[in-house]
Amino acid sequence: MACAGMGQSARCKLKRTFNMEGFGQTEVSGLKAGYYTEEYWVTFTTGTNPSAPALLSSSFCNSVLHAADVSGNGGNKALELLRSLPRVSLGNLRPSPGSKKRERRRGRGRHGGRKCGRGHKGERQRGTRPRLGFEGGQTPFYLAIPKYGFNDGHSCRRQYQPLSLQRLQYLIDLGRVDPTQPIDLTQLTNARGVTVQPLKRDYGVQLVEEGADIFSAKVNIEVQRASELAIAAIEKNGGVVTTSFYDPRSLEILCKPVVFFLRGQPIPKRMLPPEDLVRYYTDARNRGYLADPSKVAEARLELARKYGYVLPDITKDELFKMLSARKDPRQIFFGLAPGWIVNMADKKVLKPTDEKLLKYYSS
Amino acid sequence: MAAGGGTAGHLLRVWLSAGILGRWAPWATRCPGAGRALSGFSARCVGQVRAPVGAPLWKPRLPGANLPGGGISSVLSSVTSLLPSILQQPARTVTYYSIRKGKRKTVKAVIKRFLRLHNGLWVRRKAGYKKKLWKKSAAQRKRLRELVLCNRTQCKLLDKMTTSFWKRRNWYVDDPYQKYHDRTNLRF
Repeated sequence: MACAGMGQSARCKLKRTFNMEGFGQTEVSGLKAGYYTEEYWVTFTTGTNPSAPALLSSSFCNSVLHAADVSGNGGNKALELLRSLPRVSLGNLRPSPGSKKRERRRGRGRHGGRKCGRGHKGERQRGTRPRLGFEGGQTPFYLAIPKYGFNDGHSCRRQYQPLSLQRLQYLIDLGRVDPTQPIDLTQLTNARGVTVQPLKRDYGVQLVEEGADIFSAKVNIEVQRASELAIAAIEKNGGVVTTSFYDPRSLEILCKPVVFFLRGQPIPKRMLPPEDLVRYYTDARNRGYLADPSKVAEARLELARKYGYVLPDITKDELFKMLSARKDPRQIFFGLAPGWIVNMADKKVLKPTDEKLLKYYSS
Repeated sequence: MAAGGGTAGHLLRVWLSAGILGRWAPWATRCPGAGRALSGFSARCVGQVRAPVGAPLWKPRLPGANLPGGGISSVLSSVTSLLPSILQQPARTVTYYSIRKGKRKTVKAVIKRFLRLHNGLWVRRKAGYKKKLWKKSAAQRKRLRELVLCNRTQCKLLDKMTTSFWKRRNWYVDDPYQKYHDRTNLRF
């Protein structure tokens, strides 16, 4: 471990073994006659190397022990003393006890040697064991079992990372997610509340009922799937839930926006859901983003009746504007339209002016 | 002989267009049997044309066509494509370090037959659950239809034959095995 250079700071472990017999200083307490080995962490934050490379002598042990004894004082005395310490070199260093274990080499001596852990004769010692799963010619177990489509099409199945209401409440309570702004998958990812992997066929986040009875936050949240009870729990507290679809490319952009902006590509249009998901996202009961708003209002009332709570009127809420903020079906980010390029270096947003581009991105 | 030669020639053309002897295919066009499956048709063709399949000396001679230089090897290679099942044996080994990436590879036979639950158990079908059901009693058929778990050694073996991708937690939509991925009330 190298010593601190000019203007750097480093920590290293110093080992010193010195004879205390010639030592006559009275400042340091607790000394015993005989050899004394001291090891502790020393932090170098000075800009200069110690001027006088002192020998392993009384002054050295004195300074070191004094540094160990000094507590408080802002560490100034320790710094001064460290300046007079000798240079850290390979001869002064030792790894911390327990960090390095002795390697057990085979074929050397009583415990690693003789048969070297290979057993006695046979295929084990001679290294001619057959492949994994082989059963001497009998049809092996993993081939005797008939095929069944457990994993058929597994790479085409959509996955949704669960987000429990308990976790959401936890994030809001800790201040990692801001309930006064619309909560998006980007906000959740930035807060490290969920980890979505678009490359593993994740299509987003689903709301799960765990913690529905303790949930008490008014939020405008947008997820990709939500169960009925989770929707009810959020709406009971005066919040708004929306389920929307993100195709894998849009999802990747949504989860890692900065990385995408650094690419310098224009924000793409979010694709519409595939056939089998259109029904889900046009259904008001799922609060789909393609559903009719009036039907969504009806569904809210129905759910309140079903679960037996009074639906708070969000139109009279002070945060009504925020709660009613929703994205366009082709929009990925709030406040950014498809076709725009975000320049992170110059902190500018570039918008297309060509007619064809505008027509394409607004379709 | 001429008629026999003629029919042989026609069948030969048919055989050529089916794609076995690809290099002669352009000369054998407008054939009704061009789109048919290779193995059955070619086997029939071989029988009818009475061409000795393994004999390296037989070369097709077409008017105006030069005999290609690699005639013997091409015939052999074309012959081997007639019997793919014998020459392409499945590889049942676990690859510990792959050639290209140096990574471990899964044994696909395991993936096609078993399902791994996230708690470490493997689910399988019973062997013979669709074989000779007429001679099995109703109770026996019911037992065979059930899905069964593997024992500890089998689970360990299957874990060794698969990579960590198959051990990840999956959150499928409407997964029938969703509730089995976690153990409950397990005391040990």
